[in-house]
Amino acid sequence: MSSFAGKIKEVYSDFFKKTWSPMTGGILLALLAIFMFAWQRPWGIVGGIRNWADWLFYSIGLFDLDEPPAHPLYYSSSVMDLGLLAGAWISAVIAREFAFRVPPMLEIYKGAIAGILMGFGATLAYGCNVGGFYSAIQNLSANGFTMMIGLIIGVVIGLKYIYWEMEHFMPGPAGPTFLSKLPPILGFIAFAGLIYAAYAYAGSDVDDAELMPGYLLIGAGIGFVFHRSRLCMVNGFREPFMTGEAAMGKAVAISVILGTFGIAIMKFMELRAEELYVVPAFWWGSLVGGIIFGAAMVVAGGCGSGSLWRVAEGQVKLWVVIITFALSNSLFRYWFEENDWMEKLGKPVFLPDYIGYGGSIFLVIVAMLIWYIIIDWNEESNKLVLEI
Amino acid sequence: MSDVKIAPDGLEVARTLDAKGLSCPMPLLRTKKEIEKINSGEILEILGTDPGSRNDIPGWCARAGHEYLGEKEADGYICFYVRKK
Repeated sequence: MSSFAGKIKEVYSDFFKKTWSPMTGGILLALLAIFMFAWQRPWGIVGGIRNWADWLFYSIGLFDLDEPPAHPLYYSSSVMDLGLLAGAWISAVIAREFAFRVPPMLEIYKGAIAGILMGFGATLAYGCNVGGFYSAIQNLSANGFTMMIGLIIGVVIGLKYIYWEMEHFMPGPAGPTFLSKLPPILGFIAFAGLIYAAYAYAGSDVDDAELMPGYLLIGAGIGFVFHRSRLCMVNGFREPFMTGEAAMGKAVAISVILGTFGIAIMKFMELRAEELYVVPAFWWGSLVGGIIFGAAMVVAGGCGSGSLWRVAEGQVKLWVVIITFALSNSLFRYWFEENDWMEKLGKPVFLPDYIGYGGSIFLVIVAMLIWYIIIDWNEESNKLVLEI
Repeated sequence: MSDVKIAPDGLEVARTLDAKGLSCPMPLLRTKKEIEKINSGEILEILGTDPGSRNDIPGWCARAGHEYLGEKEADGYICFYVRKK
Protein backbone atom coordinates (compact mmCIF):
# COMPACT_ATOMS: atom_id res chain seq x y z
CA MET A 1 0.00 0.00 0.00
CA SER A 2 2.78 2.35 0.91
CA SER A 3 4.29 2.17 -2.57
CA PHE A 4 0.89 2.93 -4.08
CA ALA A 5 0.59 6.01 -1.89
CA GLY A 6 4.12 6.87 -2.89
CA LYS A 7 3.11 6.62 -6.51
CA ILE A 8 0.19 8.98 -6.01
CA LYS A 9 2.55 11.45 -4.39
CA GLU A 10 4.96 11.13 -7.29
CA VAL A 11 2.25 11.69 -9.90
CA TYR A 12 0.92 14.67 -7.94
CA SER A 13 4.41 16.12 -7.88
CA ASP A 14 4.89 15.54 -11.62
CA PHE A 15 1.63 17.29 -12.47
CA PHE A 16 1.47 20.08 -9.95
CA LYS A 17 4.92 20.84 -8.57
CA LYS A 18 7.68 20.09 -11.04
CA THR A 19 8.11 22.40 -14.00
CA TRP A 20 7.01 20.81 -17.27
CA SER A 21 9.40 20.96 -20.18
CA PRO A 22 8.93 23.83 -22.66
CA MET A 23 8.05 21.32 -25.39
CA THR A 24 5.29 19.80 -23.25
CA GLY A 25 3.94 23.31 -22.76
CA GLY A 26 4.23 24.18 -26.45
CA ILE A 27 2.37 21.06 -27.59
CA LEU A 28 -0.40 21.49 -25.02
CA LEU A 29 -0.72 25.17 -25.89
CA ALA A 30 -1.23 24.29 -29.57
CA LEU A 31 -3.91 21.78 -28.57
CA LEU A 32 -5.72 24.36 -26.45
CA ALA A 33 -5.45 27.02 -29.18
CA ILE A 34 -7.16 24.52 -31.50
CA PHE A 35 -9.83 23.82 -28.84
CA MET A 36 -10.47 27.55 -28.52
CA PHE A 37 -10.83 27.91 -32.28
CA ALA A 38 -13.10 24.86 -32.45
CA TRP A 39 -15.16 26.30 -29.62
CA GLN A 40 -15.74 29.60 -31.39
CA ARG A 41 -12.85 31.94 -32.13
CA PRO A 42 -9.06 32.29 -32.26
CA TRP A 43 -7.17 32.65 -29.00
CA GLY A 44 -5.98 36.20 -28.26
CA ILE A 45 -4.78 38.30 -25.35
CA VAL A 46 -4.75 42.01 -26.04
CA GLY A 47 -8.44 42.39 -26.94
CA GLY A 48 -9.36 41.42 -23.41
CA ILE A 49 -7.02 43.68 -21.51
CA ARG A 50 -7.87 46.56 -23.88
CA ASN A 51 -11.54 45.96 -23.06
CA TRP A 52 -10.77 46.52 -19.35
CA ALA A 53 -9.11 49.86 -20.13
CA ASP A 54 -11.84 50.85 -22.65
CA TRP A 55 -14.33 50.29 -19.93
CA LEU A 56 -12.39 52.51 -17.53
CA PHE A 57 -11.97 55.35 -20.05
CA TYR A 58 -15.63 55.13 -21.03
CA SER A 59 -16.72 55.26 -17.38
CA ILE A 60 -14.77 58.45 -16.71
CA GLY A 61 -16.16 60.02 -19.88
CA LEU A 62 -12.93 60.15 -21.87
CA PHE A 63 -14.18 58.00 -24.72
CA ASP A 64 -17.04 59.31 -26.80
CA LEU A 65 -18.64 56.08 -28.01
CA ASP A 66 -22.09 55.39 -29.41
CA GLU A 67 -22.56 52.53 -27.02
CA PRO A 68 -20.57 51.39 -23.99
CA PRO A 69 -17.75 48.85 -24.47
CA ALA A 70 -18.71 45.22 -23.94
CA HIS A 71 -18.98 44.20 -20.30
CA PRO A 72 -15.70 42.53 -19.23
CA LEU A 73 -17.57 39.58 -17.76
CA TYR A 74 -19.49 38.95 -20.99
CA TYR A 75 -16.88 39.67 -23.64
CA SER A 76 -15.05 36.73 -25.19
CA SER A 77 -11.52 38.22 -25.19
CA SER A 78 -11.86 39.41 -21.63
CA VAL A 79 -13.24 36.11 -20.37
CA MET A 80 -10.35 34.23 -22.04
CA ASP A 81 -7.89 36.48 -20.21
CA LEU A 82 -9.71 36.10 -16.89
CA GLY A 83 -9.58 32.35 -17.43
CA LEU A 84 -5.84 32.54 -18.18
CA LEU A 85 -5.24 34.50 -14.98
CA ALA A 86 -7.25 31.99 -12.96
CA GLY A 87 -5.53 28.97 -14.48
CA ALA A 88 -2.06 30.39 -13.93
CA TRP A 89 -2.94 31.42 -10.37
CA ILE A 90 -4.21 27.94 -9.58
CA SER A 91 -0.97 26.44 -10.89
CA ALA A 92 1.16 28.92 -8.94
CA VAL A 93 -0.66 28.42 -5.65
CA ILE A 94 -0.64 24.63 -5.87
CA ALA A 95 3.09 24.64 -6.68
CA ARG A 96 3.70 27.10 -3.79
CA GLU A 97 5.18 29.57 -6.26
CA PHE A 98 2.70 32.38 -5.72
CA ALA A 99 3.89 35.46 -3.82
CA PHE A 100 3.58 39.17 -4.31
CA ARG A 101 7.11 40.20 -5.25
CA VAL A 102 7.76 43.92 -5.19
CA PRO A 103 10.74 44.81 -7.41
CA PRO A 104 13.19 47.71 -7.08
CA MET A 105 11.88 51.07 -8.34
CA LEU A 106 13.98 50.90 -11.51
CA GLU A 107 12.07 47.79 -12.54
CA ILE A 108 8.74 49.53 -11.88
CA TYR A 109 9.71 52.42 -14.18
CA LYS A 110 10.92 50.00 -16.84
CA GLY A 111 7.69 48.04 -16.62
CA ALA A 112 5.58 51.19 -16.98
CA ILE A 113 7.43 52.45 -20.05
CA ALA A 114 7.67 49.00 -21.65
CA GLY A 115 3.93 48.51 -21.16
CA ILE A 116 3.17 51.80 -22.93
CA LEU A 117 5.36 50.77 -25.88
CA MET A 118 3.79 47.31 -25.98
CA GLY A 119 0.38 48.97 -26.18
CA PHE A 120 1.52 51.07 -29.12
CA GLY A 121 3.23 48.15 -30.90
CA ALA A 122 0.17 45.95 -30.44
CA THR A 123 -1.99 48.69 -31.95
CA LEU A 124 0.14 48.80 -35.11
CA ALA A 125 0.33 45.01 -35.35
CA TYR A 126 -3.37 44.42 -34.55
CA GLY A 127 -2.38 42.25 -31.63
CA CYS A 128 0.39 41.27 -29.25
CA ASN A 129 2.66 38.28 -29.79
CA VAL A 130 -0.44 36.06 -29.60
CA GLY A 131 -3.02 37.71 -31.89
CA GLY A 132 -0.38 39.37 -34.05
CA PHE A 133 2.07 36.47 -34.36
CA TYR A 134 1.12 33.10 -32.85
CA SER A 135 -2.57 33.00 -33.70
CA ALA A 136 -2.09 35.09 -36.85
CA ILE A 137 0.25 32.52 -38.40
CA GLN A 138 -2.00 29.66 -37.33
CA ASN A 139 -4.85 31.51 -39.05
CA LEU A 140 -2.70 31.69 -42.21
CA SER A 141 -2.58 35.47 -42.16
CA ALA A 142 0.56 36.99 -43.69
CA ASN A 143 0.94 39.65 -41.00
CA GLY A 144 1.94 36.91 -38.53
CA PHE A 145 5.17 36.36 -40.44
CA THR A 146 6.04 40.04 -40.71
CA MET A 147 5.39 40.46 -36.99
CA MET A 148 7.70 37.52 -36.30
CA ILE A 149 10.48 39.25 -38.24
CA GLY A 150 9.72 42.45 -36.34
CA LEU A 151 9.79 40.64 -32.99
CA ILE A 152 13.22 39.15 -33.73
CA ILE A 153 14.63 42.58 -34.66
CA GLY A 154 12.95 44.15 -31.64
CA VAL A 155 14.28 41.55 -29.22
CA VAL A 156 17.86 42.30 -30.27
CA ILE A 157 17.24 46.03 -29.72
CA GLY A 158 15.67 45.36 -26.32
CA LEU A 159 18.56 43.14 -25.29
CA LYS A 160 21.11 45.79 -26.30
CA TYR A 161 19.24 48.27 -24.15
CA ILE A 162 19.29 45.92 -21.15
CA TYR A 163 23.05 45.35 -21.55
CA TRP A 164 23.56 49.11 -21.67
CA GLU A 165 21.37 49.58 -18.62
CA MET A 166 23.37 46.99 -16.63
CA GLU A 167 26.53 48.99 -17.22
CA HIS A 168 24.98 52.26 -16.07
CA PHE A 169 22.35 51.50 -13.44
CA MET A 170 22.04 49.41 -10.31
CA PRO A 171 18.50 48.34 -9.52
CA GLY A 172 18.50 49.41 -5.85
CA PRO A 173 16.83 47.51 -3.03
CA ALA A 174 13.85 45.28 -3.73
CA GLY A 175 10.52 45.78 -2.06
CA PRO A 176 8.95 43.15 0.18
CA THR A 177 7.75 39.70 -0.79
CA PHE A 178 4.51 38.72 0.86
CA LEU A 179 1.65 36.20 0.83
CA SER A 180 4.17 33.55 -0.14
CA LYS A 181 2.67 30.88 2.09
CA LEU A 182 -0.79 30.44 0.63
CA PRO A 183 -1.90 26.84 1.20
CA PRO A 184 -2.13 24.79 -2.01
CA ILE A 185 -5.70 23.77 -1.14
CA LEU A 186 -6.75 27.29 -2.21
CA GLY A 187 -5.81 26.34 -5.76
CA PHE A 188 -8.18 23.39 -5.72
CA ILE A 189 -10.93 25.54 -4.20
CA ALA A 190 -10.39 28.08 -6.99
CA PHE A 191 -10.66 25.28 -9.52
CA ALA A 192 -14.04 24.33 -8.07
CA GLY A 193 -14.96 28.02 -8.29
CA LEU A 194 -14.07 28.04 -11.98
CA ILE A 195 -16.34 25.08 -12.64
CA TYR A 196 -19.10 26.84 -10.70
CA ALA A 197 -18.57 30.03 -12.76
CA ALA A 198 -18.77 28.03 -15.99
CA TYR A 199 -22.13 26.58 -14.97
CA ALA A 200 -23.34 29.99 -13.82
CA TYR A 201 -22.48 31.44 -17.25
CA ALA A 202 -24.23 28.60 -19.03
CA GLY A 203 -27.38 29.13 -16.99
CA SER A 204 -27.48 32.92 -17.35
CA ASP A 205 -29.47 34.81 -19.98
CA VAL A 206 -26.78 37.21 -21.24
CA ASP A 207 -25.91 37.23 -24.96
CA ASP A 208 -23.71 34.31 -25.93
CA ALA A 209 -24.00 32.90 -22.41
CA GLU A 210 -23.50 29.40 -23.76
CA LEU A 211 -20.11 30.40 -25.21
CA MET A 212 -18.64 31.90 -22.04
CA PRO A 213 -17.85 28.61 -20.24
CA GLY A 214 -15.55 27.59 -23.11
CA TYR A 215 -13.68 30.88 -23.14
CA LEU A 216 -13.27 30.67 -19.38
CA LEU A 217 -12.24 27.03 -19.06
CA ILE A 218 -10.05 26.77 -22.17
CA GLY A 219 -8.49 30.09 -21.16
CA ALA A 220 -7.83 28.62 -17.72
CA GLY A 221 -6.26 25.56 -19.32
CA ILE A 222 -3.97 27.83 -21.31
CA GLY A 223 -2.99 29.73 -18.15
CA PHE A 224 -2.34 26.49 -16.28
CA VAL A 225 -0.15 25.11 -19.08
CA PHE A 226 1.73 28.39 -19.38
CA HIS A 227 2.57 28.48 -15.71
CA ARG A 228 3.34 24.77 -15.33
CA SER A 229 5.82 24.89 -18.21
CA ARG A 230 6.85 28.54 -17.73
CA LEU A 231 6.32 28.80 -21.47
CA CYS A 232 7.43 32.24 -22.49
CA MET A 233 7.57 33.61 -26.00
CA VAL A 234 9.92 36.40 -24.91
CA ASN A 235 12.30 33.73 -23.71
CA GLY A 236 11.85 31.84 -27.00
CA PHE A 237 12.89 34.86 -29.06
CA ARG A 238 15.41 36.35 -26.62
CA GLU A 239 17.43 33.39 -25.36
CA PRO A 240 19.08 32.56 -28.71
CA PHE A 241 20.64 36.04 -28.55
CA MET A 242 21.28 36.07 -24.79
CA THR A 243 22.50 32.64 -23.68
CA GLY A 244 22.08 30.54 -26.83
CA GLU A 245 19.49 28.34 -25.10
CA ALA A 246 16.95 27.21 -27.71
CA ALA A 247 14.51 24.94 -25.84
CA MET A 248 11.80 27.58 -25.51
CA GLY A 249 12.20 28.90 -29.06
CA LYS A 250 11.95 25.37 -30.46
CA ALA A 251 8.83 24.71 -28.39
CA VAL A 252 7.19 27.88 -29.75
CA ALA A 253 8.08 26.91 -33.34
CA ILE A 254 6.59 23.42 -32.97
CA SER A 255 3.55 24.85 -31.21
CA VAL A 256 2.87 27.23 -34.11
CA ILE A 257 3.09 24.37 -36.63
CA LEU A 258 0.81 22.03 -34.64
CA GLY A 259 -1.81 24.71 -34.07
CA THR A 260 -1.74 25.61 -37.75
CA PHE A 261 -2.83 22.11 -38.74
CA GLY A 262 -5.92 22.22 -36.54
CA ILE A 263 -6.95 25.73 -37.42
CA ALA A 264 -6.26 25.37 -41.14
CA ILE A 265 -8.44 22.25 -41.23
CA MET A 266 -11.37 24.14 -39.73
CA LYS A 267 -10.96 27.04 -42.13
CA PHE A 268 -10.53 24.76 -45.13
CA MET A 269 -13.64 22.77 -44.25
CA GLU A 270 -15.49 26.08 -43.86
CA LEU A 271 -16.32 25.30 -40.26
CA ARG A 272 -14.97 28.75 -39.41
CA ALA A 273 -14.81 31.97 -41.42
CA GLU A 274 -11.59 32.27 -43.42
CA GLU A 275 -11.25 35.96 -42.60
CA LEU A 276 -10.92 35.32 -38.85
CA TYR A 277 -7.74 37.08 -37.64
CA VAL A 278 -6.86 38.22 -41.17
CA VAL A 279 -6.28 41.90 -40.44
CA PRO A 280 -5.04 44.84 -42.54
CA ALA A 281 -1.56 44.84 -41.01
CA PHE A 282 0.53 43.33 -43.79
CA TRP A 283 3.18 44.33 -43.98
CA TRP A 284 4.33 47.50 -42.37
CA GLY A 285 1.96 47.71 -39.39
CA SER A 286 2.89 44.23 -38.24
CA LEU A 287 6.60 44.71 -38.95
CA VAL A 288 6.98 48.06 -37.18
CA GLY A 289 4.55 47.01 -34.45
CA GLY A 290 6.57 43.81 -34.02
CA ILE A 291 9.84 45.70 -33.64
CA ILE A 292 8.40 48.04 -31.00
CA PHE A 293 6.57 45.25 -29.19
CA GLY A 294 9.61 42.95 -29.38
CA ALA A 295 11.99 45.49 -27.87
CA ALA A 296 9.50 46.43 -25.16
CA MET A 297 8.64 42.87 -24.16
CA VAL A 298 12.32 42.15 -23.40
CA VAL A 299 12.48 45.17 -21.09
CA ALA A 300 9.11 44.21 -19.57
CA GLY A 301 10.21 40.61 -19.03
CA GLY A 302 6.95 39.34 -20.47
CA CYS A 303 4.94 39.43 -23.70
CA GLY A 304 1.15 39.57 -23.84
CA SER A 305 0.67 36.04 -22.54
CA GLY A 306 3.84 35.91 -20.43
CA SER A 307 3.02 39.12 -18.59
CA LEU A 308 -0.45 37.87 -17.81
CA TRP A 309 0.60 34.56 -16.27
CA ARG A 310 3.31 36.36 -14.27
CA VAL A 311 0.62 38.71 -12.97
CA ALA A 312 -1.13 35.60 -11.67
CA GLU A 313 2.13 34.51 -10.03
CA GLY A 314 2.23 37.80 -8.11
CA GLN A 315 5.09 39.58 -9.90
CA VAL A 316 4.34 43.23 -9.25
CA LYS A 317 6.51 44.47 -12.12
CA LEU A 318 4.26 42.63 -14.55
CA TRP A 319 1.18 44.12 -12.89
CA VAL A 320 2.61 47.50 -13.85
CA VAL A 321 3.31 46.24 -17.37
CA ILE A 322 -0.21 44.90 -17.90
CA ILE A 323 -1.81 48.09 -16.54
CA THR A 324 0.15 50.50 -18.75
CA PHE A 325 -0.09 48.06 -21.69
CA ALA A 326 -3.89 48.01 -21.38
CA LEU A 327 -4.23 51.78 -20.93
CA SER A 328 -1.89 52.62 -23.78
CA ASN A 329 -3.40 50.07 -26.17
CA SER A 330 -6.89 51.35 -25.44
CA LEU A 331 -5.89 54.98 -26.00
CA PHE A 332 -3.89 54.35 -29.18
CA ARG A 333 -6.58 52.14 -30.63
CA TYR A 334 -9.25 54.74 -29.90
CA TRP A 335 -7.12 57.51 -31.38
CA PHE A 336 -6.30 55.46 -34.49
CA GLU A 337 -9.94 54.54 -35.01
CA GLU A 338 -11.07 58.16 -34.63
CA ASN A 339 -8.72 59.02 -37.50
CA ASP A 340 -9.47 55.91 -39.59
CA TRP A 341 -5.82 54.89 -39.33
CA MET A 342 -6.51 51.24 -38.44
CA GLU A 343 -7.26 50.60 -42.11
CA LYS A 344 -3.99 52.17 -43.22
CA LEU A 345 -1.57 49.83 -41.45
CA GLY A 346 -1.33 47.50 -44.40
CA LYS A 347 -3.38 45.00 -46.35
CA PRO A 348 -5.29 41.97 -45.11
CA VAL A 349 -3.53 39.01 -46.72
CA PHE A 350 -5.03 35.55 -46.31
CA LEU A 351 -2.26 33.32 -47.62
CA PRO A 352 -4.46 30.58 -49.16
CA ASP A 353 -5.90 33.23 -51.51
CA TYR A 354 -2.43 33.49 -53.02
CA ILE A 355 -0.73 30.12 -52.59
CA GLY A 356 -3.57 27.78 -51.62
CA TYR A 357 -4.03 25.92 -48.30
CA GLY A 358 -1.32 23.39 -49.10
CA GLY A 359 1.15 26.11 -50.00
CA SER A 360 0.27 28.11 -46.89
CA ILE A 361 0.74 25.21 -44.50
CA PHE A 362 3.97 24.33 -46.27
CA LEU A 363 5.15 27.93 -45.81
CA VAL A 364 4.37 27.83 -42.07
CA ILE A 365 6.29 24.57 -41.67
CA VAL A 366 9.28 25.79 -43.66
CA ALA A 367 9.45 29.15 -41.88
CA MET A 368 9.21 27.57 -38.41
CA LEU A 369 11.71 24.83 -39.25
CA ILE A 370 14.20 27.40 -40.56
CA TRP A 371 13.90 29.28 -37.27
CA TYR A 372 14.13 25.97 -35.37
CA ILE A 373 17.27 24.90 -37.20
CA ILE A 374 18.94 28.30 -36.88
CA ILE A 375 18.46 28.46 -33.10
CA ASP A 376 19.37 24.80 -32.69
CA TRP A 377 22.59 25.36 -34.63
CA ASN A 378 23.21 28.52 -32.60
CA GLU A 379 22.78 26.56 -29.36
CA GLU A 380 26.01 24.75 -30.20
CA SER A 381 27.85 27.47 -32.09
CA ASN A 382 26.66 30.54 -30.10
CA LYS A 383 27.08 32.59 -33.27
CA LEU A 384 24.05 34.77 -32.56
CA VAL A 385 24.79 35.36 -28.87
CA LEU A 386 25.41 39.00 -27.98
CA GLU A 387 28.10 39.29 -25.32
CA ILE A 388 27.55 41.62 -22.37
CA MET B 1 10.20 17.66 -15.49
CA SER B 2 13.02 18.86 -13.35
CA ASP B 3 13.66 18.07 -9.70
CA VAL B 4 14.78 20.78 -7.35
CA LYS B 5 18.39 20.25 -6.30
CA ILE B 6 19.15 21.17 -2.70
CA ALA B 7 22.56 22.68 -2.04
CA PRO B 8 24.86 21.04 0.55
CA ASP B 9 25.47 22.77 3.89
CA GLY B 10 28.57 24.77 4.76
CA LEU B 11 29.48 26.12 1.34
CA GLU B 12 32.16 28.77 1.35
CA VAL B 13 30.75 31.65 -0.67
CA ALA B 14 33.17 34.03 -2.41
CA ARG B 15 30.56 36.56 -3.51
CA THR B 16 26.83 37.18 -3.14
CA LEU B 17 24.54 38.71 -5.74
CA ASP B 18 21.30 40.18 -4.46
CA ALA B 19 18.78 39.72 -7.28
CA LYS B 20 15.72 39.78 -5.04
CA GLY B 21 12.67 41.36 -6.64
CA LEU B 22 14.17 41.11 -10.13
CA SER B 23 12.26 39.20 -12.76
CA CYS B 24 13.31 37.36 -15.88
CA PRO B 25 15.81 37.91 -17.51
CA MET B 26 17.59 40.20 -15.03
CA PRO B 27 18.62 37.61 -12.38
CA LEU B 28 20.40 35.50 -14.99
CA LEU B 29 22.00 38.47 -16.75
CA ARG B 30 23.29 39.86 -13.45
CA THR B 31 24.56 36.38 -12.57
CA LYS B 32 26.42 36.16 -15.88
CA LYS B 33 28.06 39.50 -15.13
CA GLU B 34 28.77 38.80 -11.46
CA ILE B 35 30.51 35.48 -12.05
CA GLU B 36 33.19 37.35 -13.97
CA LYS B 37 34.24 38.89 -10.64
CA ILE B 38 35.23 35.62 -8.91
CA ASN B 39 38.00 33.12 -9.61
CA SER B 40 37.72 29.67 -11.02
CA GLY B 41 36.59 27.18 -8.36
CA GLU B 42 35.03 29.86 -6.16
CA ILE B 43 31.33 29.93 -5.36
CA LEU B 44 28.80 32.61 -6.27
CA GLU B 45 25.64 32.84 -4.20
CA ILE B 46 22.56 34.37 -5.86
CA LEU B 47 19.57 35.54 -3.83
CA GLY B 48 16.40 35.70 -5.86
CA THR B 49 12.62 35.67 -5.72
CA ASP B 50 11.77 34.71 -9.32
CA PRO B 51 10.73 31.04 -9.55
CA GLY B 52 11.94 31.14 -13.18
CA SER B 53 15.51 31.23 -11.89
CA ARG B 54 15.02 27.58 -10.82
CA ASN B 55 15.19 26.71 -14.53
CA ASP B 56 17.33 29.53 -15.83
CA ILE B 57 20.32 29.25 -13.51
CA PRO B 58 20.88 25.44 -13.70
CA GLY B 59 20.22 25.55 -17.46
CA TRP B 60 22.76 28.30 -17.97
CA CYS B 61 25.33 26.51 -15.77
CA ALA B 62 25.01 23.38 -17.89
CA ARG B 63 25.57 25.42 -21.03
CA ALA B 64 28.36 27.61 -19.72
CA GLY B 65 30.19 24.78 -17.95
CA HIS B 66 29.81 26.05 -14.38
CA GLU B 67 28.84 23.62 -11.65
CA TYR B 68 25.32 24.15 -10.29
CA LEU B 69 25.46 23.21 -6.62
CA GLY B 70 21.76 23.64 -5.84
CA GLU B 71 19.40 25.94 -4.01
CA LYS B 72 18.25 26.64 -0.48
CA GLU B 73 14.95 28.13 0.64
CA ALA B 74 15.37 31.17 2.84
CA ASP B 75 12.63 33.28 4.35
CA GLY B 76 10.84 34.78 1.34
CA TYR B 77 13.59 34.15 -1.19
CA ILE B 78 15.76 31.41 -2.68
CA CYS B 79 19.58 31.13 -2.55
CA PHE B 80 21.28 29.54 -5.55
CA TYR B 81 24.90 28.33 -5.54
CA VAL B 82 27.19 28.16 -8.56
CA ARG B 83 30.84 27.06 -8.63
CA LYS B 84 32.73 28.84 -11.39
CA LYS B 85 34.48 26.60 -13.90
